[in-house]
Amino acid sequence: MSESTAMRSEAIEVLLVEDSPGDVRLTREALKDAKVHISLHVATDGIEAMAYLQRTGSHVNAPRPDLILLDLNLPKKDGREVLREIKESPSLRIIPVVILTTSSSDADVSQSYHLHANCYISKPVDLDGFLKVVHSIDNFWLSVVKLPRS
Amino acid sequence: MSATIKSLRTMKLGFAAAFAVLFVIATVACLSVIATHAITPWTFAVIMLDGISSLLIVGLTGWMTLRDLNARRSAEIALRYREERTRLLIEGVQDYAIFLLDPQGTVVSWNAGAQRIKGYTAAEIVGKNFSRFYPQEDIDQGKPEQELRIAAADGRCEAERWRVRKDGSRFWSKMVITAARSPSGALLGFSEISHDITERNERDVKYRGLLEAAPDAMVVVNEAGEILLLNLQAQKQFGYHSDELIGQQVKHIIPEGFAERLISDGTRSAAEALAQQIGTGIELRGHRKDGSDFPIEIMLSPLASSEGTLVTAAIRDISVRKDAEALLLKTVGELKRSNDELKHFAYVASHDLQEPLRMVASYTQLLAKRYRGKLDSDADEFIAYAVDGCNRMQQMIRDLLTYSSAGSGEIALQAVSSELALHVALANLRVAVEESGALVSHDSLPIVTTDDTQLTQVFQNLIGNAIKYRGSGVPRIHVSARTDGGKQRIFSVRDNGMGIDPQYFDRIFGLFQRLHGRGEFAGTGIGLSICKKILERLGGRIWVESQLNQGSTFHFALPDEGVSA
Repeated sequence: MSESTAMRSEAIEVLLVEDSPGDVRLTREALKDAKVHISLHVATDGIEAMAYLQRTGSHVNAPRPDLILLDLNLPKKDGREVLREIKESPSLRIIPVVILTTSSSDADVSQSYHLHANCYISKPVDLDGFLKVVHSIDNFWLSVVKLPRS
Repeated sequence: MSATIKSLRTMKLGFAAAFAVLFVIATVACLSVIATHAITPWTFAVIMLDGISSLLIVGLTGWMTLRDLNARRSAEIALRYREERTRLLIEGVQDYAIFLLDPQGTVVSWNAGAQRIKGYTAAEIVGKNFSRFYPQEDIDQGKPEQELRIAAADGRCEAERWRVRKDGSRFWSKMVITAARSPSGALLGFSEISHDITERNERDVKYRGLLEAAPDAMVVVNEAGEILLLNLQAQKQFGYHSDELIGQQVKHIIPEGFAERLISDGTRSAAEALAQQIGTGIELRGHRKDGSDFPIEIMLSPLASSEGTLVTAAIRDISVRKDAEALLLKTVGELKRSNDELKHFAYVASHDLQEPLRMVASYTQLLAKRYRGKLDSDADEFIAYAVDGCNRMQQMIRDLLTYSSAGSGEIALQAVSSELALHVALANLRVAVEESGALVSHDSLPIVTTDDTQLTQVFQNLIGNAIKYRGSGVPRIHVSARTDGGKQRIFSVRDNGMGIDPQYFDRIFGLFQRLHGRGEFAGTGIGLSICKKILERLGGRIWVESQLNQGSTFHFALPDEGVSA
């Protein structure tokens, strides 16, 4: 167990912005084996994601996430737009954003980093690959790195 | 001249003689009177005085008459001198026939030019009628008299016509007959000046012939923008008769503004013209008589002539070409659209279809992972088939994506070492080569102008296949190259593998075409279709020589102009 986790008594808050219920469930399944206690919150479109982050509407009491997993192709408000708004907000920009998407196009990769995404991951097409990726996220972002205190 | 001068001289002598005779007669008469009659000296003196005064009057009158005659004589000399000078001048002219006719057309004078051009000497022709200069058919029609009548009525008669020499040969003559009249208006005769323009005429006829032979409408324009000449094609193209256009402004048939440019461009000096490339085609619209217009292309060339600089404009009706171009553009547009649709289709198939497939695959895999051995054996088998199907479909979609993107990017043509491309391909195939123990050899391979990534891909697919479909022994693969007439390079990849039945030669290059069951060999059957697509895009081709169980040789040709062996 890493130092950062040890210092936190409470669960690590993760916001997953993903419109596919199948992917949400797969992510949940993958995170079940996580080394740390993770509290996973889900927003299924860009509008809801921003409402959650800005604690408006039904999200007034939403906990501030320690990590955001963001899909790019989202209904209502595009993932790229969500990323821009997060990184333009002085209070939100310190939250690491992991782009987790099916797109592997160079344009999307480049644009995401220009918008200050913290990393970009293409979803593997097979289950084992996907599980491996989620475990890596869990291992690296939630165990190895030291995150800012909210 | 001599007649007048002689008479003057005679008159002078006459006066002198008359004076002397009168003096002698008077003296003799006086003396005889004195001698025969006894008259007084007074009477004698009176008679003498009377005689002397008479003599003085006669002498004075004679002197005055003589002085007047001298003045008239000088004026006549000057006139005669001028006439003589003009006569000599005219007689000496060689290039023009100049001669005088009396009112009936009889030749009264003849110059050297007339002799040279018509072949008669003055002695032969003076006194003869000028009608003999006309061809018989013109004489029959009364042309000579007719032209004299015109000259008499209008002052002059100009014509270009055939004339006949003394020897009967004809020449094309440009002539002017001018009437000569006295101050009171009486017809004195005619002068004719004529010129042999056969050569110029032949040149014009040749030029005209050239114009008519041209496939384009040809229009000759002077510096004032007036149409001087046009060929039949021009009349057809613009719908005018030649008479309706000659002398008209060229802007009637080509756009205003350009007509001026045509003239200014066309009349530049040859050096300027070269610099300005006026000969290059300019696309415009021509105007027909019926008001319609049509696309034209104009080529200009200046022509120095005696009438100043003329511009010859070759005007080509490019309607057919324009229509063809428009059709081509439309077809290209349609092709591009359908190609874009295909690309989009490939993207949809490979990307959007992949999403739901990923769900199916992930959850069947999750099922297999969590429940293998926990349900019955049928469930395990069913799940296994579902998983296998998903895996293959995913592979096909990946291959389809590879195929549709193969050669879809920019082709970076450059001098490429084909040997290096082969080495890169072999490095990519390292695991397969090592596992199979394949022995790959090659000749010295040339530098070619192509895309190195794509060449590597072709080598990789072909050698990969040679290893995959190997025979029972150690795989031996040899790569060689040769030139074909210097226009293309032909590469050959020869193996000792299982070979291919010739009836399948065409099929193996098709998309997802396989000759073996899935149990025998992995893969979707995309490799050779990718090679074919790449090579066709590079302007080359691929083919195979093989017999079952006797190995295969895949050849591919790449265009390779200008690269030496």
